[in-house]
Amino acid sequence: MRKAFSDALVAAALADPKVLLLTGDHGYALFDAFRKACPNQYINCGVAEQNMVGVAAGLARGGFRPIVYGLAAFVPVRVLEQIKVDVCHEELPVVFIGDGAGFVYGQLGSSHQSTEDIACARALPGLTVLSPADRFELTAAFQLACEQVSPVYLRLGKSDRGDVHAGPVKLSVGVLLKIRGGSGKGALIATGSMVRTALDIVDAGLDAEVWSAPTIKPIDGKILGEICRRVNWLVVLEEHSVMGGLGACIAETVTMIRPVPVCRIGVEDRFSEFCGSYEYLLREHRLDTESVKQRIAGFLSAVDGEQNFDFPQAV
Amino acid sequence: MKKFDPNRIRRIILDMAYSGATVHIGCAFSIVEVLAVLYRDHLRLDVADPRSKGRDYMVLSKGHGIMAQYACLYELGWLSQADIGNYFKDGTRLKGLADVHVPGVEATAGSLGHGLSVAVGLALAAKLNKTDQACYVLIGDGELNEGPIWEGLLFAAQFKLDNLIVIVDKNDFQAMGSTEEVMGLGDVEAKFAAFGFDAITLDGHHEPALDAGLRALRAMRNGRPKAIVANTVKGKGVTFMEHNNAWHYTRLSPETYQAALAELEIRP
Repeated sequence: MRKAFSDALVAAALADPKVLLLTGDHGYALFDAFRKACPNQYINCGVAEQNMVGVAAGLARGGFRPIVYGLAAFVPVRVLEQIKVDVCHEELPVVFIGDGAGFVYGQLGSSHQSTEDIACARALPGLTVLSPADRFELTAAFQLACEQVSPVYLRLGKSDRGDVHAGPVKLSVGVLLKIRGGSGKGALIATGSMVRTALDIVDAGLDAEVWSAPTIKPIDGKILGEICRRVNWLVVLEEHSVMGGLGACIAETVTMIRPVPVCRIGVEDRFSEFCGSYEYLLREHRLDTESVKQRIAGFLSAVDGEQNFDFPQAV
Repeated sequence: MKKFDPNRIRRIILDMAYSGATVHIGCAFSIVEVLAVLYRDHLRLDVADPRSKGRDYMVLSKGHGIMAQYACLYELGWLSQADIGNYFKDGTRLKGLADVHVPGVEATAGSLGHGLSVAVGLALAAKLNKTDQACYVLIGDGELNEGPIWEGLLFAAQFKLDNLIVIVDKNDFQAMGSTEEVMGLGDVEAKFAAFGFDAITLDGHHEPALDAGLRALRAMRNGRPKAIVANTVKGKGVTFMEHNNAWHYTRLSPETYQAALAELEIRP
């Protein structure tokens, strides 16, 4: 996925000399190919993300197509106000890349983990939010981002969880991609790294459709409505807070078009407590495959038994 | 009739502030001469098109002074009498801080510390596009409290933006008091020089001095960004407003409006 990202960046810059890559002194090794192929289109803005976004706005006004790269904890979260005021308010065509989203930087602690970026970005008027799951979605999402004439946030999470698609995919803004069929009982809708988890759970025997959500904002209400007419329940999985992320987005939309029970599986209202690997942190947050299976089982028994929901304390 | 006459600009500001019952009069009055000189003799603009290609940029980063810029845009013909006369009425387009959707306003600003970075981006774009556009950006001294200002200054020097001219409206006040009381700035010119700028200090109400300073700095295409520390008076032009920070927040009454107008009208 990271090679696909590097390839897509280089291709975009070679195709359009107005494409500029701005980084806040991040991207060690990742940008080697870019710097070699397009050295004049690479701008290291230093460790100064707020200024970087304002500069990107000025460059966009001057006819350039800035791609602003940072860790998701900084772009978009640290610079949210600059994105709002300098870029979104004028609908400038700037692409923001938030890398390392979720628990990628597990061992570095909460400052570098990013589980609130989707919630922040979604609320900014006119900002499209993309979240690819594998290299095929990444390539298509990056192309889609570059085609927009308005601002885009592209979220990059854990990148080495393997392909979820057999080959290249086509993306349009809002689309949900069906990856597995089911008998119509329920559906898992996941984004980014958690699409792999959804597939693993279905492959282990759960009867459910699996959908990937590479675009989180906007989301196609028509496709979602069709899914809801077919199934009795939805489970949404994401490596992001359950507040304001994909789960919230799906729940908000479903409530309006055809309510079905929606279980939001993500990060609850807490920071990581301990240092640890990516896999360790997924376990700490009950987002590893085994924990997710148990959470889904609990949800389904509540739905099937028509019991009163036992809401998790933190949600 | 003198174009961009400071006295007339102040009267327009006063009328806007009175009819709209608005605040931020003092911080508009302190930048009148700076804007008047820029619009009269320095900004290369196409009067027929506020967004003309190749224009010089005038970014008002201290968006609180926007009434002074509105007055200049009115003189340019980019704003109408209705715009000015209906200031702050429901459904009108002129807001209390700088908004990029207004013709002639180059950045949404007033949330402080934004306009400089956008100006730096515009100056860099001009460099990359190999044009001779200049980018002027007016920032407040209170605005120097904002961290992104210093990020932007470092960037401007690193990328050799000698087409960037930063003007500091040094009126020595910010919202809650004097800059010395709130967040002392020390020697502002020396700070800019230390950041790699060609920096000068001058009287920000003395039009010939402003004109000469701007002319000299623009001519110096030496790889160093430029700065003018403009010593100004908050509330300049109306004696009871001068150096009185209450006029950051105070609205005009019929009596204070008439008294201010009388002072402006006796001037040539």
